[in-house]
Amino acid sequence: MILTLEKKVFAETVQNVARFAERRSGTLPVLAGIAIIAGDDGIKFRATNLETGVDMKAEGTIKEPGVVALPASTLRDIAASLSGNGTLTLEHSGDTVSVSGGSGRSTLKTLPYEDFPTLPLPESGAVSFSLPGSVLRALVTSVMSYASTSSVRPELASVLISAEGGVLKAVATDSFRLAEKKISLKETIAPFTMLIPAKNAVDIMQALPDEDIRVSVDDHQCAFFWSRGVVTTRLVAANYPDYAQIIPKTFIAEATLLKKDFEAALKRTAIFSDAFQKVKLGFDPGQKRISLSAQNADVGDSDEAVMGAISGDGVELSFNHRYLSAPLPSITAESVTLAASGIGRAMVLRGTGDASFLYLVMPMNQ
Amino acid sequence: MNRLDARELWEYVLTQVELSISPANFNTWFRDSSIVKIEDGIVFVGVPSQFFRDWYLKKFNALLLKIIRSVSYEYRNIEYMIVKDDRRKPKEVKRIPQQTTEMPLDEFYINKSDNLNPRYTFDSFVIGDFNQLAYMAAETAMKRPGITYNPLFIYGDTGRGKTHLIQAIGNQYKKLYPSRKVFYLASEKFKSEFADAIQAGTSSRFKEKYRQFDLLIMDDVQFLSRQEKTQEELFHLFNALYDNNKQIIFSSDRAPVAIPDIAERLRGRLASGMTIDIGEPDIESRMAIVRKKAAAHGVNLSDEVIEYIAISISGSIRELEGVINSVVCHTQVKGVPPDLAEVRQSLRSFARPQKTVSVKHVVSKVAEYYGIDEESIYEKTRRREVVRPRQVIMYLLREDFSVSYPTIGSKLGGRDHTTVIHSCEKVKREILVDQELAKEIQDIRTLLV
Repeated sequence: MILTLEKKVFAETVQNVARFAERRSGTLPVLAGIAIIAGDDGIKFRATNLETGVDMKAEGTIKEPGVVALPASTLRDIAASLSGNGTLTLEHSGDTVSVSGGSGRSTLKTLPYEDFPTLPLPESGAVSFSLPGSVLRALVTSVMSYASTSSVRPELASVLISAEGGVLKAVATDSFRLAEKKISLKETIAPFTMLIPAKNAVDIMQALPDEDIRVSVDDHQCAFFWSRGVVTTRLVAANYPDYAQIIPKTFIAEATLLKKDFEAALKRTAIFSDAFQKVKLGFDPGQKRISLSAQNADVGDSDEAVMGAISGDGVELSFNHRYLSAPLPSITAESVTLAASGIGRAMVLRGTGDASFLYLVMPMNQ
Repeated sequence: MNRLDARELWEYVLTQVELSISPANFNTWFRDSSIVKIEDGIVFVGVPSQFFRDWYLKKFNALLLKIIRSVSYEYRNIEYMIVKDDRRKPKEVKRIPQQTTEMPLDEFYINKSDNLNPRYTFDSFVIGDFNQLAYMAAETAMKRPGITYNPLFIYGDTGRGKTHLIQAIGNQYKKLYPSRKVFYLASEKFKSEFADAIQAGTSSRFKEKYRQFDLLIMDDVQFLSRQEKTQEELFHLFNALYDNNKQIIFSSDRAPVAIPDIAERLRGRLASGMTIDIGEPDIESRMAIVRKKAAAHGVNLSDEVIEYIAISISGSIRELEGVINSVVCHTQVKGVPPDLAEVRQSLRSFARPQKTVSVKHVVSKVAEYYGIDEESIYEKTRRREVVRPRQVIMYLLREDFSVSYPTIGSKLGGRDHTTVIHSCEKVKREILVDQELAKEIQDIRTLLV
């Protein structure tokens, strides 16, 4: 195999593909590699960790077709160290590949390509639809960080994506908080539900471009196709908890605040939170304000109020301040609405006038 | 087909696959797979995702087919299915009320937090003359754990029910004191965990882990012989637990004094509490065991069958259990318990192979142990340092390997068989009073195995 590509193309492709290679040691060595395939379809870079996989085209010229697998970490280091314009030539001979560009030349040991797995794609007859990558990314990234990091319950370590009646939604929860984001689609698509493992979702969203993407889903596998490539992931086969029933229907107190005021006050109060990151939130309809307070025996204490429109009863709830501040960047509206449903019960946080994003957080024990 | 067969088949497949592919490949592709079911000759292999299914179809299908066909031509094909993620979670154990031919899987179930096998309880423990003392001691120790008999040291030959007894103590303790922590382990596990902890530089965490238990049960401590560092660690652990009145229970196949190559201070500690010996079960106890074990599996055996089994299998209860299992299996397959003739037939396969040994081997080991010239054993010398080893050799050949007196005599330099008888009797007598000699013989026995 002999091929030539632009340094820029090489660097960008390697950076995108390398994150799909296996990072843990002790598995099949070739999984920690990137396969470079030069054939009739052009040059393709491929990587997989058996959870997700990627196959990406790179523009370049093929002098001699062939396949080779190279260690991803080395390729990534090379890609990161490239500077300036110009081209790079990869030449495969025996069990090494020489990489030459400009005045330099290096030789890499290859990995056994025969062990490189195939990338499974959803079977034909699967649900399939298209949408802009930027929209899909916004949908999934606004919830994926709330999925559980523990693997004890695989369904909670996943992002739920489902479509019904022209609305596509993404949900994630770690059982302490839950986020739901909805978007409406221009075309109607067949209803479906899938659970993407959250750590796969993170890698995939980073790899997706802004352009239109075709999503294809079957029972066990989901793939995202675009002009330059495809990313595929296994799906979690488990039942997602019926989360709709835990979203409170009635509220005892509601507050609407300027997002930037709330964010700043939370940041200042959080400095004084204790080892449990506890911040107390008080709804005060009489004085039209929300009070934030925290105390830490070693640091000191703090008390602050944010003015806003408050209705309902006076109530005090304690939260992990990280759980309160986490969703704020995903809220695009200028003000946020906090709705408390009672002591020891969930509080709903959303952008005022924005029905697309909902965030639910459980208070701490008082 | 029952589930156990699927498991066994898969285990067999794995052992075969492991031989034909690289370890990295094996670990990557076969760690999370299993046989889900076998239906109409089609073996359904459960895999975690489509990545696996595609690869199995592409790379391993031929190999797997070849392997399962080598087991039986009944298996026509293999299909791969992706199993649900929540299937891998531990399932709730459901007891099926009526008797089925399936072996309940929870027999193999071991509680992770305390390592105890819930199968071992006092209810299933048969008490006879041979183990009554041990049982009483265990009961008493449970009434005031950490105070009455600490440590409790139980020893006896293999297959006498030591492990059953000490695990039953652990299970009983858990029932009596739900908030306290129990931990059971074999000394071998302790040793390897300790070695790992040292290697990983986490020995302080290791120490911490064991010091938190209210009841520590260690099985087969004799395996710690010659493990100086581990012994030292156990010594410190012992002191820490003992000083806090935490109960410690040990088991071993021999008395503390007879464990070779073990530090004196540890030996002293092991013997400092209550030391109890479980002897050989007498015939009545063996009959009771056979009856109870068979009944536990829902099989009623006739008295003559029970008696026959109890008489033909002496010594190890484990062997007895093996026979009972085969009888139970027979009953489940045929629907009726086997009669005497059938049992007699199947017992033949359980006949213990005769231990054989070359006299020369014993002579050279013993000579080496005492540090004397091997040739001098065969000579007609009466030097004291030779006479004693020679007698020990005769004793061992007679006692352990049942070599006849005349043969021993002729092999050891043409001695008269009465000389041999005299020597054996002499050693037998002396062993009872001479601790030193008893220990020497015990040590030599370990060399001979």
